[in-house]
Amino acid sequence: MTGVEEQSLVLEDIHFAYGPVAALRGVSLTMGSGAIGLLGPNGAGKSTLLRIMLGFLPPHQGRGRVLGYDILTEQTTLRRYVGYMPEDDCLIPGMDAVTFTAFFGELAGMPRAEAMKRAHDVLFYVGLGESRYRLLETYSSGMQQRLKLAQALVHDPRLLFLDEPTSNLDPQGRAEVLDLIVDITSKKDISVLISSHILSDIEYLCSQVVILNKGLVAAQGLLADLRRTRYNLFELKVKGETEGFLRKLQSRGCRPETTEDGLLKVYLPEGLDTMDIIRAAGEEKVQVRQLIKSQTSLEDLFAQTVGVD
Amino acid sequence: MIRDRGYFHWDGAFVERRLPWWPITRQGLRLAFKMKLFKFFFAGSLLPGVVFLAGVYISERLEDFKSMVRGGRVLFLTINPAFFKTYYTIDFLMMALVVLMLFSGAGLIADDLKHNALQLYFARPIRKRDYFLGKAGVLWFFLLILTLVPGLLFILFKLVFSGSFALLRSYPWLPLSVLAESLVLTVFFSLYTLLLSSLSANRRYVSIMIFGVYIFTDVLFGIFYGLVRSPYVALVSIKANLQQVASFLFGQAPAYAVSWVYSILILAAICVASVLVLNRRIKGVTVVR
Repeated sequence: MTGVEEQSLVLEDIHFAYGPVAALRGVSLTMGSGAIGLLGPNGAGKSTLLRIMLGFLPPHQGRGRVLGYDILTEQTTLRRYVGYMPEDDCLIPGMDAVTFTAFFGELAGMPRAEAMKRAHDVLFYVGLGESRYRLLETYSSGMQQRLKLAQALVHDPRLLFLDEPTSNLDPQGRAEVLDLIVDITSKKDISVLISSHILSDIEYLCSQVVILNKGLVAAQGLLADLRRTRYNLFELKVKGETEGFLRKLQSRGCRPETTEDGLLKVYLPEGLDTMDIIRAAGEEKVQVRQLIKSQTSLEDLFAQTVGVD
Repeated sequence: MIRDRGYFHWDGAFVERRLPWWPITRQGLRLAFKMKLFKFFFAGSLLPGVVFLAGVYISERLEDFKSMVRGGRVLFLTINPAFFKTYYTIDFLMMALVVLMLFSGAGLIADDLKHNALQLYFARPIRKRDYFLGKAGVLWFFLLILTLVPGLLFILFKLVFSGSFALLRSYPWLPLSVLAESLVLTVFFSLYTLLLSSLSANRRYVSIMIFGVYIFTDVLFGIFYGLVRSPYVALVSIKANLQQVASFLFGQAPAYAVSWVYSILILAAICVASVLVLNRRIKGVTVVR
């Protein structure tokens, strides 16, 4: 072990392809401590990236270090210090939660007795204390989600990879799991990389985000900075025939959207400003009755970055 | 409540295991013995060993048992390599091995595939070979209990009951033959079972395959033999091939007039194919192209 690195994760020019389909096309990113959100539409390469960081897949090009360990040559040692909570439901039929959790602690290298003791503790921590002797086949989806978190925590990792940690959970369960993750990241020296489709979860948990799109890093950094520098969204109320106005905005590189409550949202590319909107409105004889800079949200940032609604 | 303490660190130290696969084997054995039906079949599979062990005892007490033997046919109770070859090739033992594999081995990899557990294993500092050895260890335990252990016990008890080393003086290579035959059966059946277990995520299908392929090859042999009357068709049968190899290892005439070399080559080819398929099937992530 090279000690706790200041940068828990450094990737340089990572390429990976499934046959002819390129999944990652030169991903470079640096991650410090704390909670980092990994975002991207389906097929953006999030899961592939997680798998490469865990050493499940060797990158076709590029290199990287996780917690100071080379992802190509030191992956076995690296896995001792990372925890992984996969998206899929995972269990071993016939086992109860304590045996299951202790088993994976033992596989991580914990002494058997200590793995068993720690398994009890983390199961109580994730809220499965009362049902820890039940067979896993009888667990609900929400309980299995907590169990996956328990097995990821049992060996006390320094870096936690969470893939869709709140899927399959009811609102109360979701809130509890989010609180657990906040507890893990804010109070303790564990870094967490969270891949999730639920943007509000990422917004709640993470101070940094990495947005992947089409195998490339579309944006990365502190959420606050990204909002400030990349975000340029305006909300308009207009009167008149909007069809031509929308076409004109699109022709100038803007991305207009009509909301359900009759508002117009316009993403401005770099180089354009509000006067360009006003000019387009004037040319199309549309009256602009309200033009305000929109409240920033991760959803908007995500939509602007990856170009989806 | 403990939970109120919040997350806390583990202050222990990791250990480097000399056998990193052992926890996987231990859990596999635990899960096997949790099945009630398995316990029943496991106990039943020990029957041939017990019977043959009784045979070893009786072979030294023939006078005492003479009244029980009618017609003077006591050839079976002559303890020689043929006795051992008979033990290792009787249908009951072969079927017991297959049934044990079916119960203890069908779900070894299939269950992990079905329940996406492979990624949890490989998120730990274990290699593909550790996973494979861990799963194979479960099968080796049962297979060696039914092959190596009885074979060595037969020799030991014969020495004890007879009070002489005549058996080993006459056949000094016998322990090696027992060891080699046990290894052949163990390696073959463990790879055969793991191969089939890796081909499906449904342990019921795997169970049917383990039983079905073994029986089917033997039935196929019977049909072909009835048609062409050539001893070479024995090579399509798993059981016949194992019997041919056993005959060679114990210096006995082969049951079929075919060189044992062909049989060992066929069994070896199945083992190599199994390793290659397992190497492709066992991975931390399933890529859907």
